[in-house]
Amino acid sequence: MEKSEVRGQNILFTAVISISIAFLTGFIILAISMVLLKGLPNMIPSILSREIQFAIKLSFLTSVISTLLCIAIAVPVSYGMSRLEFFGKRFVSTVLDIPIALPPIVSGVALLLLFGTTEFGHALAARGIQFIFTPLGIILAQFFVNVPYMIKVLGSTMNDIDPRMEFVARTLGCSRLQAFFKITLPLARSGLMAGIVITWARALGEFGAALMLAGATRLKTETLPVSLFLNMSCGDLKLALAAASLLIIISVLSLFLFEIMGGKQYELSRSSLY
Amino acid sequence: MLRIENLCKKLGSFELTDINLNIEKDEYFIVLGPTGTGKTVLLELIAGMYQPDKGSVWFGDAKISDLYPEQRSIGFVYQDYALFPHLTVKENIFFGIKCRGIDVNEGNKRFREIVDFLNIEYLLDRFPSTLSGGEQQRTAIARALVTSPRILLLDEPLSALDPRTKQIFQEELRRIHDNLKTTTLHITHDFSEAMALGSQVGVLHNGEIMQVGKPMEVFRHPNSHFVAEFVGAENIIEGHGRGKTIEVSNNINIETIMDKTGPSTLTIRPEDIIISREKLFSSAQNNIPGKIINMIHQGPLYRITVDADIALTALVTMQAVEEMGLQKDMPVWVAFKSAAVHVL
Repeated sequence: MEKSEVRGQNILFTAVISISIAFLTGFIILAISMVLLKGLPNMIPSILSREIQFAIKLSFLTSVISTLLCIAIAVPVSYGMSRLEFFGKRFVSTVLDIPIALPPIVSGVALLLLFGTTEFGHALAARGIQFIFTPLGIILAQFFVNVPYMIKVLGSTMNDIDPRMEFVARTLGCSRLQAFFKITLPLARSGLMAGIVITWARALGEFGAALMLAGATRLKTETLPVSLFLNMSCGDLKLALAAASLLIIISVLSLFLFEIMGGKQYELSRSSLY
Repeated sequence: MLRIENLCKKLGSFELTDINLNIEKDEYFIVLGPTGTGKTVLLELIAGMYQPDKGSVWFGDAKISDLYPEQRSIGFVYQDYALFPHLTVKENIFFGIKCRGIDVNEGNKRFREIVDFLNIEYLLDRFPSTLSGGEQQRTAIARALVTSPRILLLDEPLSALDPRTKQIFQEELRRIHDNLKTTTLHITHDFSEAMALGSQVGVLHNGEIMQVGKPMEVFRHPNSHFVAEFVGAENIIEGHGRGKTIEVSNNINIETIMDKTGPSTLTIRPEDIIISREKLFSSAQNNIPGKIINMIHQGPLYRITVDADIALTALVTMQAVEEMGLQKDMPVWVAFKSAAVHVL
């Protein structure tokens, strides 16, 4: 090849890469700033409105509770998947990943059928545990959709922790339980924090599954995304974009927090962020 | 005190077969074996990370192989020390005191003693990631010893250290054992550690214990080709025994002090072989002519290989080489006593 031809090819190569990066970055900033430009000026009055205040409170409450539930179940599950060998482990691991692969709206339908049409669901409802069209349903939907992410982030952290650490702790006199709480859990701290941030941010934005299970009732099951949806539908752009701007701000802050946590967990979970 | 009976374990590519060992109280026992023979697995079986497929481990009359690791009272120091990275040196050492529920005053007293003994006061507030290899090792040993274990297991404790530090810590390990008398089981692939530290040594090969004895005994009288080679014996020669003579080639018979008939292997340590220009008339019963085929300079010594129908390697001082003017291809005589010939 001619010298000039080589040079030309290399320049073209660099150009394609640079343009792709610039294009995508600009595209994202542009799209988001459209919302923020229209939403931010009305933020303060909107936040003061009863509806948005309700949505903020409900979103925070449900997302915090569902995140706590995710921690409670993901910690033992990810530990078990990382440390135990058992028959059918691959099958179980695949099942645990299913909610990630499903469109959230399908998860919502599945939950609706389970709790709405079965004896099990009726029995729970008769005891006052009602998931359909209630805030409880929002929590359940958020939990169902997000728990696999928490398991993934925590699982990769647990895999990185040398099992010999726990073993040494046991030779020093700890029981398995003590070794877990004194050694493994503290060492998994960064993964746990990253998992909490990602799970909570996703729970705040959860829409499809929650919509199916809990419905979209103003001032009852109205989370921030639902508020955005309802107000867009009835043409109240001011409230809709205020809700959207709030969600953007929270998401960007979470992403930023996530970056700070750093490490491998971050790489893994960013790839499975949405 | 610690007794291992018919211990078998298959784990991935490692397999331990029918291990029997007896470690006496206060002994410094070394298990010697090449890398990848399952030495670490042996320690982990004793400490309870795995259950044996067969066999058992005993402390006196108590069978401990059924117990949980936390019930065995065993101190474990890994090759990479496995310090808890989220705890300071002080917290690492106090870990066992708290876990074992040792009384506060007693715990503080033991902590103080071990910290003073190992001179690690200056490390106490630091995290493991900031420590050198030697400092990590002292911390790991302190952490294990502070719980007063019945036995201390050391997994290749010196192999992660540079040669100078290694020398220092070899002395340190000796000092610890001389003073605290903790029964110790130390595994290594380095025979010089066994010579320096061990009161007993067991040689592990392909998952089996090949030989147990005092290090010097194993060194002088290896019981197999593998052990001989592994502990550094050169001049391993195959031959055919006829009483006290072993025929090693058509022209060469080697005199020994042991009766042996049939196929035999013999070893002669290089430092037991004398090289001379003329035939020596001395007490050495074996005199064989040959030719120098190789000379390697090793510190103050020369390692000289002589082709005398069989290849024999001798260690000769530099002074002797100069005085005799030894050179490659020079015809020489090799001489050694029949008592220096060890028949396997």
